[in-house]
Amino acid sequence: MTLDWNVVWQYRADLAHGVLLTIALTVATMAIAVPGGIVVMLMRQSHVRAVSWAGTVFVEFFRNVPLILLVYWAFYVLPILADVQFSAFATGLVAMCLNVSAYNAETFRAGVNSIRKGQLEAAMAMGMSRSQAMRKVILPQATRRILPVLASTWVSLFKDTSLVSVIAVGELAHTALQIRSQTFRVLEMLTAMAAIYWALGYPQAKLVDWIHRKYGVTE
Amino acid sequence: MDFDFSPIFDNWGFLAQGLWITIELSVATMVAATLVGIALGLGRIYGPAWLRVPLTFYVDSMRAIPVLVVLVWTFFAFPLLTGITLPPFWAALAALTLHIAAFVSEILRAGLASIRPGQVRAARALGMSGAQIVRKILFPQAVVRMLPAYGSLLSVTIKDTAIASVIAVPELMRQSETISAQTFRPIEVFTTAMLVYFLILFPVTRAVEAFYRRVAHLGRS
Repeated sequence: MTLDWNVVWQYRADLAHGVLLTIALTVATMAIAVPGGIVVMLMRQSHVRAVSWAGTVFVEFFRNVPLILLVYWAFYVLPILADVQFSAFATGLVAMCLNVSAYNAETFRAGVNSIRKGQLEAAMAMGMSRSQAMRKVILPQATRRILPVLASTWVSLFKDTSLVSVIAVGELAHTALQIRSQTFRVLEMLTAMAAIYWALGYPQAKLVDWIHRKYGVTE
Repeated sequence: MDFDFSPIFDNWGFLAQGLWITIELSVATMVAATLVGIALGLGRIYGPAWLRVPLTFYVDSMRAIPVLVVLVWTFFAFPLLTGITLPPFWAALAALTLHIAAFVSEILRAGLASIRPGQVRAARALGMSGAQIVRKILFPQAVVRMLPAYGSLLSVTIKDTAIASVIAVPELMRQSETISAQTFRPIEVFTTAMLVYFLILFPVTRAVEAFYRRVAHLGRS
């Protein structure tokens, strides 16, 4: 078998564009899913039954369906529901955001709940208002516990962006698979794809480990 | 717009086959990944130094590469390299196992590391051997502490089997795609598939949580 690694260099511009889209999708998803997760978390804590129920259903549903199926579903359902034609990128973004918002909502809830209730009561006994106690006592501590989990979610999210390739978003996986079928350089392209993901993902995974060590709370 | 769910009733046998393969693939992956993951994890913690470095590198690499990439590589590139062609199901099983095993080993490592070192020292002082300490002191507590993470890995595995549709494993996702393409009813078919996945995954998640609540006290020290 003859290998021709030149093909990777030849298509470097396309691959670089794919990498850019992968990163853009990761950043955009997180930028939407952090506020999205906060909204869903607040919904779950609402005193209005219907609202808290809706929040719970959102979290449980989107955490318990495969993302690749959600991507397909968004691809077919969004144009009908919203009556507008979404671009592939926007469709992928919506699917990713639904999934990651659900995870983030759980992360935030667990983070806030991990701070003992006595602290809130003590702060209020000292004359702080509820929002002051939240801002000055609970949230600074909860942030330390939320940050490592959020970092892990970030890495999963980065890897999961490869799934939107099934609806032809031109990110790294889709670009590499396209080049593969155009040039028939299967082994070279697939190995290059894995290597590029590795080069991008490995430092992130190591950074997450570092964040866990630095901020992780041990009992 | 009007919905027509009849394609699902007309093809329920075809979809049920897919569901069965999803379950088979999930169970087989979880069993294989657990065994490989335990070997990886133990090798990383207790193995000789020359083994630790490559194992750590392997685990960290798997955490960095998307499972889709591993699947596609195993199915399309591996046969070119070795001349061994794997049928889709076996390629998916191999790829998912390689991927999930890395996470199992991480969970095992975290579980063992969470036991206070004082316990190991105390066991040493009582004259226990290294293997005895792992078997009688560390493992019984670590297994319980690993449960929540292992449970979420179980649901990740079931969800990841849907990605095997990309290499044409005829599991639920793939069968749904086929039906939706034949009947032009993607919304009904994919919505049903989503509900089916939810109905499998939600009880699994809940059962693991309930089980953990019952045994959590065994892992406390």
